Amino acid sequence: MIRVDARVCLGCMSCSNVCPSQNITRSEDSGRRTVHWKRCKEECDLCVELCPAKALSLVPWDENIPEPEISFDLVACRICGSPYATEPMLQRIESELPAEMQKDASGLEWIRICPVCRRDVEAEGTVRQMVLARSRK
Amino acid sequence: MTKVLVPTVCPYCGAGCGFCIAVEKERASGIEYMPDHPVSQGALCAKGNAALEILCHPERLVSPLKRRGEGWVSISWPEAMDLVARGLSQAKKKHGPRSLAFLSSSKCSNEDNYLMQKLARLLGSPHIDNCARLCHSPSVVGLNRTLGAAGMTNPIPDIASSRCIFIIGSNLAENHPVISRWIHRAKDRGAAVIVADPRATPTSWMADIFLQLKPGTDVALLNGMAHVIIKEGLINRDYIDRSTRGFEALAEAVKEATAERTAEITGVAAEDIVQAARAYAKSPASSILYSMGITQHSTGTDNVQAVSNLALICGQLGRPGTGVMPLRGQNNVQGACDMGALAEFYPGYKKAADPKTIQYFSAAWSVHDLPLGPGLTATEMIEAAAAGTIKAMYIMGEDPANSDPCSENVRQALESLDFLVVQDIFMTATAQLADVVLPGAVWAEKEGSFTNTERRVQWSHKAIEPPGAARSDGEIICDVARSMGLQFDYPHAASVLDEINRTVPQYAGITRERLDAGSIAWPCPTADHPGTPILHCSGFNLADGKASIVPVAFRPAAEAASSDYPFILTTGRVAVHHNAGSMTRRSPSLISREPDLYVEMNREDAAALDVQDGDEVKITTIRGETAAIARLGDRVKKGVVFMPFHFPGTNILTTEITDQEARIPEFKVCACNISRRD
Amino acid sequence: MAVYIDINRCIGCRSCEVACQRVHGGHGHINVHYVGDYAAVPVLCHHCQEAGCTKVCFSGALHKEGEVTAFDVEKCTGCGLCALACPFGVVWTDKLAHKCDLCQGREQGPACMATCPANALSDDFELAARRARERAARAAAVGGRR
Repeated sequence: MIRVDARVCLGCMSCSNVCPSQNITRSEDSGRRTVHWKRCKEECDLCVELCPAKALSLVPWDENIPEPEISFDLVACRICGSPYATEPMLQRIESELPAEMQKDASGLEWIRICPVCRRDVEAEGTVRQMVLARSRK
Repeated sequence: MTKVLVPTVCPYCGAGCGFCIAVEKERASGIEYMPDHPVSQGALCAKGNAALEILCHPERLVSPLKRRGEGWVSISWPEAMDLVARGLSQAKKKHGPRSLAFLSSSKCSNEDNYLMQKLARLLGSPHIDNCARLCHSPSVVGLNRTLGAAGMTNPIPDIASSRCIFIIGSNLAENHPVISRWIHRAKDRGAAVIVADPRATPTSWMADIFLQLKPGTDVALLNGMAHVIIKEGLINRDYIDRSTRGFEALAEAVKEATAERTAEITGVAAEDIVQAARAYAKSPASSILYSMGITQHSTGTDNVQAVSNLALICGQLGRPGTGVMPLRGQNNVQGACDMGALAEFYPGYKKAADPKTIQYFSAAWSVHDLPLGPGLTATEMIEAAAAGTIKAMYIMGEDPANSDPCSENVRQALESLDFLVVQDIFMTATAQLADVVLPGAVWAEKEGSFTNTERRVQWSHKAIEPPGAARSDGEIICDVARSMGLQFDYPHAASVLDEINRTVPQYAGITRERLDAGSIAWPCPTADHPGTPILHCSGFNLADGKASIVPVAFRPAAEAASSDYPFILTTGRVAVHHNAGSMTRRSPSLISREPDLYVEMNREDAAALDVQDGDEVKITTIRGETAAIARLGDRVKKGVVFMPFHFPGTNILTTEITDQEARIPEFKVCACNISRRD
Repeated sequence: MAVYIDINRCIGCRSCEVACQRVHGGHGHINVHYVGDYAAVPVLCHHCQEAGCTKVCFSGALHKEGEVTAFDVEKCTGCGLCALACPFGVVWTDKLAHKCDLCQGREQGPACMATCPANALSDDFELAARRARERAARAAAVGGRR
């Protein structure tokens, strides 16, 4: 069965997606994501191998160990306020991308806004010049 | 199994884009674009891209149905034909042939329409019409009178060679998206674009001059521009003398229509009117594109004539890059009119009220007793049904219970009929009221010719079989005709086109064989004629070859804002839906993008009513009320609201007041009130 | 290569969205965003030279192949990091990541480009700028009429 190191788990969707026996479940509601690892006897270690944080390991079957479950509060987008990612995932992005990539030309810390708002910002930036030109006409 | 590419014509708007349907194992597996298509060049709008979604739609009608109590039972084709024959015959016998009315479909092919009008007239009824009545009937009346031909004068690609494009009452960027590419091409070449519309739309994004006029003041704007052009000596005197009559009367009629006076009526700044008039008159080649913002008014015919006047006094006709271009809404609305599915015209625009027409078709069809027209128009049929003079109707591919104004009255009128047969692909609001429903085929399931807005006739091939027991519309009409004792021997669409070649002079040279090689624009009088992409190059098909300038006076719309109904409601289309929406509202990738009926209003108006963006509001007119989601913005000016008409709610509100000549309802202006819905 | 936008041309008709969805089995990679009431712009993968999505992809599913930001579906775990590392919000995940693949395998090139009614999309980076220059030159030639 699976042991989870809660200190390093990102709360991402990798293990729940790759588990061939649907033993790992992921649920999301009211701004929280909960990942639940059911007790499993399989010898498959796909989830362990494909964990981006190396947070999982296989341990021998033990009825007395409770099934691990971790909940993450989802971070709210700084523009629209909708919850969109776990804090560890965002920190992982921030640690992996070069510092100069983490702000756009106007200094916006885009990692802290949700993908939908990022597209809006991109669209607004693209048309700003053109709209100015149009309104001058 | 190999993949076969079947060339077809898009079933949505009048632009007539082509695309191929990939067919594998007798199923449509995908769309392939057609880069060498003369209009679309491989492009398709959102609707075209989603067109296959209606082919195997689970709600398609797959068997003839008859009403039983509140529900429906499937019946066989012979039983259905028996019921239809009995229903129509009984009305005919008891109340005479003029108690029958037929609505043909501008979504169906030329052949289907030709058969439908022939069926109506051979049964002795002059009452045949199609939904062109609701979109471009003023173009038919107005352009026939002023220019002698009812159609777009120049082809769509020709717009690229225009140096000034005046778009009035058309949101073509959403309604005929592919035309935008030709406008942009003209802009790249330095053309100026003028857009006149009560709303800021994606079309006005393309404009160099945007004239945001009050709804229903088009004649005032066009007269004002004519005034400026005459006053500043920008008219084309040579052209006026050589090719027109009636100029002096127009000069007199617009004498008082100064830019300042026009500005007061239209709400457009006087200097913009002057600038637009100069740009249009001075450019070496100017075109006018218009659509339902011009036609759907109680002054629709006047509007069209005012458009013609402007083109005529500037001589902006008969050359590349010029012209008067009514952009038509349905894929074959031009063809349905050409085929005589109109109350006032037999095929080829031969006047139904002219005994010579009756003689001509009596000989052509070897019959006698053809009914002299004009018959009742689509809107008048409904009134006559309510009044009890029309007793039985055969409606093909149209949804008047949804698309006509004041739709509650339409519903009641159709319910009062003794017999109603509806032929369609889905159980539409109109089909719900029928006694018998016949399952027809969509474009990909039958073959035939379609005439797009530029008068370009294209052959669309059959890709797959209709679902279940559904059949091609032409076959069904022939069966109905035969069950009524008529001789309708047309084994396939090509044999109908053969007859059209013989009886419709404009189509005489547009044969089945030639359409394999490519499209042809009518008029095409002989088999070796190349077709006529640009009309009026050498005079007009009117007395002395001269066009008529017909002065028109500005008249306000039938309804004005009042204290009880302080807003002006105008209606139109959005990019991802089409007309009454029976297809697009069932198309997942389209309905998901625009799922709800909305009402667009100005932020200030909304603030005064304490309405927020996304709130549900109630819209009321003297005819009824409906609910919609408020969409706030600056697209419409204060006092004006807009609703798309693809959802059943909208036409509960609109007025049934019509243009006196063309009988088109005033969809574009009615007075309404808006309130929060809580 | 990437698909570039001539923002002067976009009419917001959403044809590219429907076409992209159609050729990718319902998973679209292009989104048309309206900016106020005055413009619309399709937002899609820029195929960035320095692509954030490839930098955070631990499995190697997202990677650079020359100029193209390529995707190897076999390696994807659907973890969702790429979606969070894209500054433009154009990579998304359900069970797997979805992003513009320039319609790989479609002989005629990207569907959005072919279908755009207004000719607003092109793989020619210079095209939009060239058109703008030509328009300006023509306007100057006619005496700055507008």
